[in-house]
Amino acid sequence: MNENRFASAFLIPGGLWLVALFAAPLIFLLALSFGYTDDLGEALYGWNPENYSRVFDADLLPVLVRSVGFALATVVLCLLIGYPVAYYIAIFGGRWKNVLLALVVLPFFVNYLVRTYAWIAMLGDDGLVNGLLGGDLRFLNTPYAVIGGLVYGFLAFMILPVYASLDRMDPSLIEAGKDLYGGPWQTFRNVTWPHTMQGVLAGSVLVFLPAVGDFVSASLLGGPDDVMVGNLIQQQFQASDNWPFGAALTVVMMAFLLIWMSLYLRSAAREAKEARA
Amino acid sequence: MSSVQSPPAASRPASGTRAEPSRRRPPQGFDRPRFLRIFTGIFFIVLFAPIGLVILFSFNSSRSLQDFEGFSLRWYEQFFESPSLRDSLIASVEIALVTMVVATVLGTLLAYGLVRARTRWSDAANVLMLVPLVTPEIVAGVSALLLFTQVGLELSITTIMLAHITFSISYVTVVVRARLAALGREVEDASMDLGATRWGTFRLVTLPALWPAVIASGLLVFALSFDDFVLSFFTTGESPQPLPVRIWTQIRFGVRPTINAIGTFMLVISTLSIGLALLLPRLLGRRESGLKMLLGREGA
Repeated sequence: MNENRFASAFLIPGGLWLVALFAAPLIFLLALSFGYTDDLGEALYGWNPENYSRVFDADLLPVLVRSVGFALATVVLCLLIGYPVAYYIAIFGGRWKNVLLALVVLPFFVNYLVRTYAWIAMLGDDGLVNGLLGGDLRFLNTPYAVIGGLVYGFLAFMILPVYASLDRMDPSLIEAGKDLYGGPWQTFRNVTWPHTMQGVLAGSVLVFLPAVGDFVSASLLGGPDDVMVGNLIQQQFQASDNWPFGAALTVVMMAFLLIWMSLYLRSAAREAKEARA
Repeated sequence: MSSVQSPPAASRPASGTRAEPSRRRPPQGFDRPRFLRIFTGIFFIVLFAPIGLVILFSFNSSRSLQDFEGFSLRWYEQFFESPSLRDSLIASVEIALVTMVVATVLGTLLAYGLVRARTRWSDAANVLMLVPLVTPEIVAGVSALLLFTQVGLELSITTIMLAHITFSISYVTVVVRARLAALGREVEDASMDLGATRWGTFRLVTLPALWPAVIASGLLVFALSFDDFVLSFFTTGESPQPLPVRIWTQIRFGVRPTINAIGTFMLVISTLSIGLALLLPRLLGRRESGLKMLLGREGA
């Protein structure tokens, strides 16, 4: 048998599964976003573009803007925290590199809800920090709490790609920068930072995407004024039971995120090609 | 990437020529910024403090989250003696096991096809396979819910399994694909030269070489599925609901110490399966990094 035909057959089961359970549902989602609900609240397909004008309604617009703002703040904080840590592990980690990296990864396999709950236990009004300080620090139900929860949730997505790009970089480049009388800051800005741009961009997208769509952090750590688009979507499919409107919200969010996704996928494709070459 | 240690600095030529890249030699003295070390130290403390707190207070004898008043297992007893929580635990394990097996098989086959088949749309398929990984879970959950109601499938642990499998295939494919790409095809060619069929070569040569990656990605998928909340939340039926969905309901009713016990228990299970995946190459007596394998960065 021809090798190509033989190997192509292996694509069929997984490919069909992904088409049937990943691609097809997205088409249902798009179709239902133009649907409407009957008097009993039953979702029906149809032609009702009003769902979309409702998404951009004046009273919902702040929610969309806030979601993007929270996600951007999360990306910036993840970068500010994650870059130095990745740098330390990659350059100074020595033989502890893999151990340190495993320590970064492990907490992210603790259930996200449990980790968020841990923050409540720690920072709540009757939590540990308030107990230790004996004060009444108000942290929960603020935007900071929501952003903090998102950072804690997705930080590993920043550290890993940044670490990978630092690890790929030849450290003698840094020494060369210093040999050319570059100060530490100059060397970082002109040598290290440009070399790790790919990792920074990948990490930023990998943090941004789940952060925009998150509803756990805002539900558990935020107050009523910190609602994000994920919360709206979740409400439409549960409490308020307006599936077509929920579908329209999801489609708008997904369309916005597709821009960033394609950026990431393009760089991933380039990387895969380089690896093969 | 080689894990060969460079010789100690003393054995280097003193002339200052940099004949070999000083990859593993950490810069000395002034170049080792204390700031970074302290920063990283604080980072790890903050990273682990909340988790440590959950573990510690799961053994607290009182309800308090401020004072540790004595060691007790009462929250664990409450967890394991509640029939509905026990059902949830069993459901979570069932879902994770089925997801692990099905996704590992489908993902491995897909990886082989993606690496070895050269079709016009190979590049596109390679990229499309990544899309589920970067799709926010809420989009995935909502669209899975729509599909199931559309085809009239009643929500149950089966629908959760279907949703989990869909979003786990890509993880397996990424890990196994990297291993396969690093493997090269010389051994397969040799096997064919010796008269083996293509299928025989796949079964007796390729697959055994892929085992570490297949098992490691299976363990990764088990942990992801066991921990998953969002997908389960949208595709779950009335009962039994998987543990994370139960935790969600409990947190919404206010902080309850049982959550500490459930959380600690889940943490042990996922840490075990991820730890096992990380250590797998060592357990098999290979000098490779389990972490690199899991991240799909082998040979890259």
